[in-house]
Amino acid sequence: MRLLWLFLALALLGPWFSEYGLKLASEAFILGLYAMAFNLLFRQTGLLSFGQAAFFGLGAYTMALLVARGGWPFPATLPLAFLISALGALFIGFLSIRLSRIYFTMLTLAFAQLLYAVAHKWYAFTGGDNGITDLRPPGIWGESLFYYYVVLFLFALGVLFLWALERSPFGYALRALRDNRARAEAVGINAFGHLLLAFVISGALSGLAGALQGALQRSVFPDYLFWTRSAECILATILGGSGVFLGPAIGATVFLLLRVVVQANTEYWPFFLGALLLLMVLFFPKGLGGLALEMASRRLKGERRGASGS
Amino acid sequence: MALLEAKDIYRSFQGFLALAGVSLSVAEGSFHALVGPNGAGKTTLFNVITGRLRPDRGRITYEGREITGWPTFRIARMGLAISFQRAQPFLSMTVLEAVAVACLGYQGRTFALLKPLRDFKEGLAQAEEALQKVGLEKQSSRRVSELPLGDLKRLDVAIALAGRPKLLLLDEPLAGLSRAERREMVAFIRELLRKEGVTLLFTEHDTEAVLHLADRITVLHQGRVLAEGSPEEIRQNAEVRAAFLGGGA
Repeated sequence: MRLLWLFLALALLGPWFSEYGLKLASEAFILGLYAMAFNLLFRQTGLLSFGQAAFFGLGAYTMALLVARGGWPFPATLPLAFLISALGALFIGFLSIRLSRIYFTMLTLAFAQLLYAVAHKWYAFTGGDNGITDLRPPGIWGESLFYYYVVLFLFALGVLFLWALERSPFGYALRALRDNRARAEAVGINAFGHLLLAFVISGALSGLAGALQGALQRSVFPDYLFWTRSAECILATILGGSGVFLGPAIGATVFLLLRVVVQANTEYWPFFLGALLLLMVLFFPKGLGGLALEMASRRLKGERRGASGS
Repeated sequence: MALLEAKDIYRSFQGFLALAGVSLSVAEGSFHALVGPNGAGKTTLFNVITGRLRPDRGRITYEGREITGWPTFRIARMGLAISFQRAQPFLSMTVLEAVAVACLGYQGRTFALLKPLRDFKEGLAQAEEALQKVGLEKQSSRRVSELPLGDLKRLDVAIALAGRPKLLLLDEPLAGLSRAERREMVAFIRELLRKEGVTLLFTEHDTEAVLHLADRITVLHQGRVLAEGSPEEIRQNAEVRAAFLGGGA
C-alpha cells in the first residue's frame, strides 16, 4: 500500500521536473530497477552475481538492433528485450548456478566480459565501439515527460512484482535455501530449479532496464556489457542497503545525484565513489535504507517512551 | 515388510572407506536405532539414504522403489523426512513460516510466484497442526532465531513431520540437551511417532535412550555392520562389547 503512495507521488512530481530533471529521474528508475533485480539474487538467495551487465546489455542491444536494423517501433522491442535477456540468463544460469559461491561470481563475470568482447569486436553486427546511435524513439515516446511515465510505470510494475515475489512461497523457498540449503532440500525444495528461476527473473528485469536505458540515451555502446556496469548495480545496492526492500532503488538515486554533483565540481568522481563506499561498508553496512529504518524505529521507540512517561 | 532397504552400500572419501558394504532393512512401523562410535559411518549412511551423497556401490529401495542417486528433494517428497543433528531451520523466518514453507516444499508447490504465503490456508493449517504435535503452537509467531535449543529441535521435528512422512530419520535427537531434556525428548518422540504411525530410523550416542526407544538396533563399526538384533540381543552380544569397551581390536 505504501508503495502505491510512493508511485503516485512520483507520478505527480513529473510535470514539475525540468527537461534535465526528467532525464535524471528516468535514469534513477532504470538504475533502481536494475539494482533491485540484482538484489533479488543477492538478498533472497545469497548469490553474488558479478555479471548482471550481460543481461542489461543483452536487453539494450536487442532493443537497439531491432530498432536500427529491423526498423521495429521502440515499444514493441521491450517484450523481446525482456525475453532475450531471460533466455541469456537461462543459459548462463544453467552453467553457473551449480558452482559454489566464488566460482559462481567469477563465471557470471566471465560470461559478461565474453559478451562485451563480442559486442566490441563484431563491427558488422553491433557497430563495435561506435555502438548503435540515433535511437530516438518516434513521436510521443521521444518526449521526456512521456518517457518518464513509461519508465516509472515499468519500474513500479517491476518493484510490485518483486514485492509479491518476496512474500510468495517461491520467495520463502529462496530464503530457506539461503538460510540452510541442506535443510531446504530435505523438505522437498528443488534448489537448482529455484535458483535458476530467480536468476532468470533477475536477468529479464535487468534486460528491461538495459533497453530502457538505451532508449533514454538514444544509443547503445559495448560499455553496456562492461564489468563496470555490473559493478553499478552492486554499488547502488551497497549504498542503499541490501537488507531493505527499496534500498537498491534509494541507492541508485543517491548514486546518480552524487555523480552529477561531484562531476560538476571535480574530476575525481571515482575517488569520491571509492571513499564513500569505504565509509558505507565500514560504518553503515546496512546502507542508507538501513540507516533510515533504524532512525525511524528509534524515533518510534522514543515517542512510545515519551507517551508512557507522561 | 521392509519400508527402507539399503543393500551393500559402499562409499569412500579420498581413499577413506566410510561405508564398506552396509546392508540395512527397516521394517514398517519399527523404531530402528543405528549405533556405533564416531566415524562408524552413521551420518554418511544417512546422507546416502537422503540423497545428499551418492553411494559408490549398492542400492537403496524405499517402498519397493529404487531411489539410489535420486536428488534429495525428490526423496523428501516421497515421505522420507529427516531432522538434522544440528537443528538450524530457517533462521530468518517466524516459526509458522518455517513450517509452512516446508509443507509447501514437500508438496512441490513452492514455484508459486505471486500469491502470498499467508493466503495458502491449507498449507498454514497443516503447519499449525505440525506445530501442535510438537507443542510449539503458542510460539508460532516468534522468530526462529529467538528460540532456545530445545525448542529449535522440536521445530526441526515439526518441519520434518510437516510432510506427513512414513519414515523419519533423526540424527542424534538428544545431542546438546540436558539430562532432564533428554528424558522428556525420548518420551516425546515415542509418544508422537506411535500416535502418528511413523517409522523411525535414528542415531544416538546415549545408550540408555537407545535401549528405551528402539525395538531394533544395528551396530556400525568402521563402515561395516557389526551386529543387528533386538535391544536384548545387542546387549548380550560379545562382539559389540569388545568393540565398544576394548577398542577395535
